[in-house]
Amino acid sequence: MSNKVSFPYLGHVIVYKKFLQMMGFEVIMPPAPTQKTIDLGVKYSPEFACIPFKMLMGNYIEACELGANTIISSGGHGPCRAGFYGEVHQRILRQMGYDVNFIIFDSPKRDLFGTIKKFFKIKNKQSISKMVKVSKVVFPVLKDLDTFEKKIHTMIPYEINKGQSLEVWREIYKIYDEVYSQKELLEARAEGHRMIDSIKLRKVNDDEKIKIGIVGEIFVVIEPSINMDVENLLCSLGCEAERSLYLSEWVEHNIFGEKHEKTIQDLGEKYIEILIGGHAKTTVGNIVDFKNRGFDGIIHLMPFGCLPELVSQSVIPKITSDHDIPVLTLSIDEQTGKSNNLTRIEAFIDLIRNKKTKEKVFSGGKK
Amino acid sequence: MKIGIPRALLYHYYGVFWEEFFKELGHEVIVSPHSNKEIVDTGIKSAVPEICVPIKIFLGHLKYLIYEKNVDYAFVPRMISIHKGEIFCPKFMGLPDLVKNGSPEISDRILTTYIESKTENISNYKNYISLSDKLNANEEDIKRASRKANIKWLEFRRNTLRGIPADKAAEMVKKNTVYKKNNSNNIKIAVVGYVYNVYDPFLSMDILDKLHDLNVDYMTFEMLDNKTIFSQISHLKKRLFWTFSNKLLGAGYYSLKNHNIDGLIHLTAFGCGPDSFLGKLFEIESDIRQKPFMTIRIDEHTGENHLQTRIEAFVDMLKRKKEKESA
Ligand code: SF4
Ligand code: SF4
Repeated sequence: MSNKVSFPYLGHVIVYKKFLQMMGFEVIMPPAPTQKTIDLGVKYSPEFACIPFKMLMGNYIEACELGANTIISSGGHGPCRAGFYGEVHQRILRQMGYDVNFIIFDSPKRDLFGTIKKFFKIKNKQSISKMVKVSKVVFPVLKDLDTFEKKIHTMIPYEINKGQSLEVWREIYKIYDEVYSQKELLEARAEGHRMIDSIKLRKVNDDEKIKIGIVGEIFVVIEPSINMDVENLLCSLGCEAERSLYLSEWVEHNIFGEKHEKTIQDLGEKYIEILIGGHAKTTVGNIVDFKNRGFDGIIHLMPFGCLPELVSQSVIPKITSDHDIPVLTLSIDEQTGKSNNLTRIEAFIDLIRNKKTKEKVFSGGKK
Repeated sequence: MKIGIPRALLYHYYGVFWEEFFKELGHEVIVSPHSNKEIVDTGIKSAVPEICVPIKIFLGHLKYLIYEKNVDYAFVPRMISIHKGEIFCPKFMGLPDLVKNGSPEISDRILTTYIESKTENISNYKNYISLSDKLNANEEDIKRASRKANIKWLEFRRNTLRGIPADKAAEMVKKNTVYKKNNSNNIKIAVVGYVYNVYDPFLSMDILDKLHDLNVDYMTFEMLDNKTIFSQISHLKKRLFWTFSNKLLGAGYYSLKNHNIDGLIHLTAFGCGPDSFLGKLFEIESDIRQKPFMTIRIDEHTGENHLQTRIEAFVDMLKRKKEKESA
């Protein structure tokens, strides 16, 4: 039986597709999550499983329906329930009658390279150099997409032609979908920059800008289909939005051992002394980091019942009072009524805007 | 000094040790009473709403000790590991952070230390040496107290391994009492749940006593030795990261396989993350093994009558099944 490989739908999925295809696998693209995905996931998951588990459950079922028989996933880098996801997902899928195998790439400590070697059948120099070559295309693609996406979310609020930035972003995404070589990569990058530069923006004074940081558990921070597309939502309310987590940074940290995240965690140390699993310490550190970088407010996203993020949530009031930074925690599950959260976000932004105007008047009067 | 220990979370497993430890150092130890409505309500008010009930209850006990009993310090250990390669549920590892930052006004009344061990024996004095200043003790004192406390705790564990439930086992050590279990040829049920749920009468409504009254034998995870427990889950490619969850998983699998056990009850607290997976795995396994399985999900509102009815129905079903099989 030939391997038909699929993977979780999380963030820029074309990147995983590209990597696997270029390594010579037959790829089953998981369908973009819809209400049906969530419904399926909820139906076959334990009732109190966290929402990432349920979403993935739905993803996998849909991928299996399309014929996938191998699922590649990561156990997540913080030891939490995610580390055990694969084990339970596989059992449930088997119980449903799908004969499917799981390959879990774990954080480096648990023999990441051993798993990679085995799975990609890396035996000799040739296969190593192939993998290196592929990575040299795929990783920059991921990195570029993250950079452009980040950029776009600082532009939308000021665009003169409504909708132009998002359209450009979609175009860029499409262009990168076609990138399979160094040459194409460079072309795409140039084209991307050109397109970004073509977006016309209003001039806005720095002290009128509202910047919101988004922190929390990786899955709900990264995947727009589960987080109400919160970045764009914030943009549409006139704010710049930046996430604490971009997949390329995650890869840099977990595979290339980059140190940025460590620095962030150090900032969190005052509130959560040790790594307690998941992303809690990073969440807390990121709040401080955003504040230091001049952001005006924080949206903290957590899956309903998320163990480590509940600890973050518990310490947030202290951070808010120590650092004078407003934080709105939203917990996300399959029933998260969009409208309810929407109202809360709107109210939150109003509050920040008022606070900002007042401060401006105040400091203006002092001069 | 007056040292308070909340009767919550791992007090139900390590209480014997901690009580003896502080006493040996010459301190007065005050343990909060069994959970009651007031304590629970205080806890609920002190916690973020979504957090699991056992943590809320812990906070209630903590505040009770500080505000009602005026203890100098309340003990809130940071549990990190009691098994090689495994850790604790994030809420245990972050408990002191949660307490100190969630209730800054009591942060200077918290006595905390890292507890990290390769086995579940947490008597290594190094776990407690960081307390020496606050406790006015030197290294020798801490060593001696750990040793003494360990003797008691080992006795407690020997009791549980003889089939005595943890609360009774602790009482035997502390008060030198004896406990007789009625061993009958009746139905035997495994009740799998964390000690802080099973032995908190407010949460579990004394489920074990209820079974006892129905003339049913029961088994809990602490009655199985670690070797038996962990051999049950050695086939898993990946284990959970959390020791007590793994113990429950092992105990649950064991009872589903073992012919002397007629059924399995999974007692779980509302909002418990790890248990959501355990429950599913038990469900799948009980299907395969054709053994009755029931989940009881408890929270601060669980009605006693409701619980009683469900337990009775489960027991009746097991009895009928057993009669049919032996007929
Ligand atoms: S970090 Fe939160 S969402 Fe992730 S596995 Fe743990 S509980 Fe679930
Ligand atoms: S194991 Fe479950 S009940 Fe215990 S602290 Fe963690 S989430 Fe709460």
